[in-house]
Amino acid sequence: MSLPIANDLDATWNFIQPGLEYILGSHEDQGVTSKMYMNCYTAVYNFCVNKSRRSNNDHHSTANESNLYSLAGAEIYSRLDKYLTEFIRNLKKDPKDTFLEFYVRKWTRFTIGAGYLHNVFDYMNRYWVQKERSDGRKDIHEVNTLALNKWKTEMFNDNAEVLISEILDLIEKQRNNQIVNTQLISIAIKSLVFLGLETQDSKKPSLVVYITNFEKAFLEKTSQYYSNESAKFLSENNVVEYMKKCESRLSEEISRSNNYLEDHTKKYLLETLNKVLIEDHSQEMYNQFLTLLEQNEIDHIQRMYKLLYKVPKTIDPLADTLENYIKQQALLSIEDMRISMEAAQDNSTTTASKPKRALSAVDPKTYINTLITIYLQFNEIVIKAFNKDPRFIKALDNACRYFVNNNPIALPTPKSACKTPELLAKYSDLFLRSNSKESDIIDMNGDNLMIIFKFINDKDSFEEFYRRQLAKRLINSNSKSEELEESIIQRLQEENSIEYTSKMTKMFSDMKASEDLKSKLNMNNLIVKDFNPLILAQSMWPFNHSKDYNLNVASELIEPFDNIVKAYDSQHNGRQLKWLWNHGRAEVKANLSKKGKPPFLFTVSNIQLMILIAFNKNNTYTLGNLYEIVGTSRHIFESHLLPLIKYKLIEQSPAGDLSNDDITLTIVEEYKSKKLKVNFISVIKNTEPKQEEEEATKEIDETRKNFLSACIVRIMKSRKVVKHNDLINEVLPQTLSRFRAKIIDVKRVIDQLIEKQYIQRVEGNSYEYLS
Amino acid sequence: MSSPKVIIISSEDERFPVDPKVAEKSVLIKNMINDLNPDGLTEDFEIPTPNVRANVLSKVLEWCEHHKNTTFHEEEDDDTKKTTPVEEWDKNFLKVDQEMLYDIIMAANYLNITPLMISGCKVVAEMIKSKSPEELRKTFNIVNDFTPEEEAAIRRENEWAEDR
Repeated sequence: MSLPIANDLDATWNFIQPGLEYILGSHEDQGVTSKMYMNCYTAVYNFCVNKSRRSNNDHHSTANESNLYSLAGAEIYSRLDKYLTEFIRNLKKDPKDTFLEFYVRKWTRFTIGAGYLHNVFDYMNRYWVQKERSDGRKDIHEVNTLALNKWKTEMFNDNAEVLISEILDLIEKQRNNQIVNTQLISIAIKSLVFLGLETQDSKKPSLVVYITNFEKAFLEKTSQYYSNESAKFLSENNVVEYMKKCESRLSEEISRSNNYLEDHTKKYLLETLNKVLIEDHSQEMYNQFLTLLEQNEIDHIQRMYKLLYKVPKTIDPLADTLENYIKQQALLSIEDMRISMEAAQDNSTTTASKPKRALSAVDPKTYINTLITIYLQFNEIVIKAFNKDPRFIKALDNACRYFVNNNPIALPTPKSACKTPELLAKYSDLFLRSNSKESDIIDMNGDNLMIIFKFINDKDSFEEFYRRQLAKRLINSNSKSEELEESIIQRLQEENSIEYTSKMTKMFSDMKASEDLKSKLNMNNLIVKDFNPLILAQSMWPFNHSKDYNLNVASELIEPFDNIVKAYDSQHNGRQLKWLWNHGRAEVKANLSKKGKPPFLFTVSNIQLMILIAFNKNNTYTLGNLYEIVGTSRHIFESHLLPLIKYKLIEQSPAGDLSNDDITLTIVEEYKSKKLKVNFISVIKNTEPKQEEEEATKEIDETRKNFLSACIVRIMKSRKVVKHNDLINEVLPQTLSRFRAKIIDVKRVIDQLIEKQYIQRVEGNSYEYLS
Repeated sequence: MSSPKVIIISSEDERFPVDPKVAEKSVLIKNMINDLNPDGLTEDFEIPTPNVRANVLSKVLEWCEHHKNTTFHEEEDDDTKKTTPVEEWDKNFLKVDQEMLYDIIMAANYLNITPLMISGCKVVAEMIKSKSPEELRKTFNIVNDFTPEEEAAIRRENEWAEDR
């Protein structure tokens, strides 16, 4: 076969057409030879080159200044166009095939052929098509695209409906677990993507055909299918089974979409599935949630969470449910604890007739441990089942904050101030002081303290109580370890603020400064070694100086006291020192034993110390005399004297109350006690604890008022005029790290500030700052 | 067993066996090999090139052999494409008579070997550069078919391009 004459279109076309038949597979699948291939290419090449040359000559003869050269190809192109149209129209379906099978078989062969054609007509593509397209003929395409366009107009457009419906039927069969030829589905779907080329200039496929013809219908069908299935399944099975079914259906669909759908569809498919499988049945899941919580079915809860997680808006109701459940469980636990505490208390008190009322003493350890147990229980669920999802952490926090601050123990009456901060401070004291039994405090520690601290609303109240306990530990030097104390302060500071722990930090530095002062005096032998004077800043420490306790220091002891004051004055001129005689203790070695026995060791208060020292001079005093020597208020004197009489260190004559100054008091010659150490302090009749609580409450109130005033003045100073509501709204959040202010409290402080003329009311329900 | 060869057959039926790597410098041949052997070459493969004479084909294949390991970059920038000079080896390779030069360019176009075609065209451009019309006519053996009036008119129109 020799090549045709180059300038003869018919001859050229007749020469290449048989080759095209082979290439497109009309002759079954007999191979295309390289000779056939090259001949077709060469014929097309020759025709285009020859035609171009000829037109070049034509143009030259007319000598136009533009368009001196033109490329040939149009005739070949239009022949090819016509040929492809005929070819596709003549494809015939075998009656035993479904349309889908026919389509897929023919498409597969056609696209291979189109690839060959593209290369066989490469010369035309390279020059003529490029030129036409750059001249703006967007209806001219390279051969591959031309072939696909032909397929779309001649094959696809008229048959799209039946094709798509056959694809969808096949997918449904697969969903029903029938075995289907997925190749058919995947090739047919891929063809839709290739057919998207048409409207595009670039060679990138667009998904327009795929989306409009297939995706929409597919999603609708999917929604319908699963909406039916899930309703039916739930009517026959429980929610847990349903969730398992959802999981397997979702993973099936994901792998289906990975296998033969475009990525574009995945998102919409999942949205559809999530809607019909999860969102539409979220109510059923919520209903099951409480049961699962009660049964502690972590795995199923996690299953539910993971499903609902796919539809973000379904999560919040679940978190709310958890929050309410925790609150309710917490209140039940705390109520149980209260009842058993009450029972224990009733048993221990001899008077069985005690009326049923609020517990007189709540054991801080039991109480705080109960709170922590609840927290830990649900924290574990949040971690294991909810994957530490912030929304569930928040639900847990909200619930904890609620029950830590509002429960029958914290609020015995609705109006009382919350007891939790005080109980937490006492709890802390138990494991921070040195005289608790190890076995009692084994599970008490700073971690637990911090857990509950985080949830306390009235942080300021905790600070007040904690600081009081700390002060006692420090002055009585019964803190377990300085390191431990400091680590707790450090953690409180990190959790809240530097300001929050500033007083406590100052207390530590007072201790240190006192220590320094003492060792300085010690070096100069100015005080006795066993004397531990502490100099404490009044506003930092929770101690008040009381005149009732002012005593006369016995002359034997006066020197070290004076030296301390002198030394301190020389360092800090002008500071006033007041002795807190009601604090501190003394140990007295008393030579009142039988001969040959070691002396007694008495632990006594400062007042008792002065009483005993007086008996160094005389064995007997009248009550009036002794009272004058000691110098305190009468009731203080009596309450400290009584233990000495009661425990038979001093004999009173005559017996009876201490109303008569003429009563004589005589120290015993020989003291009788089984123990060598005798503590006379613990039995001093004391009204202090009650008083201390009141003091603390008062101080908290005072501090809050000051905090609020400072806050308001700060805001007013920078803003000059502020509306009432704006002011309230700005103040309230600022208090949150310390306490929950009530609006009424803010109003009261505002009134005070108006009275003090810091601010004044102006028109429009506003306040103005007065400088 | 040696690896399969591509046997390129000239218009006079002369056979040129070469490595596929060499033959595939021609995009035409490369496409065809891929189209007709989707699973790769397993035996010798004959390709007739009815438009190329043996003497030209041998030259072209010499170029392909030399450049079998060269990677040609598609120059995205038209200017760089135009201004990059012809590399030394190609320049020497193309020092042939005019007829052979044109045949090589034509063959490169037919076989779709773009880098060779570009080199060929640049060599021709070098021949045109800095020459007067008379010199050009001599070089390319062109008969002057302008009348003196036509020539004067063209000179006037293109005056702006004259060296001054």
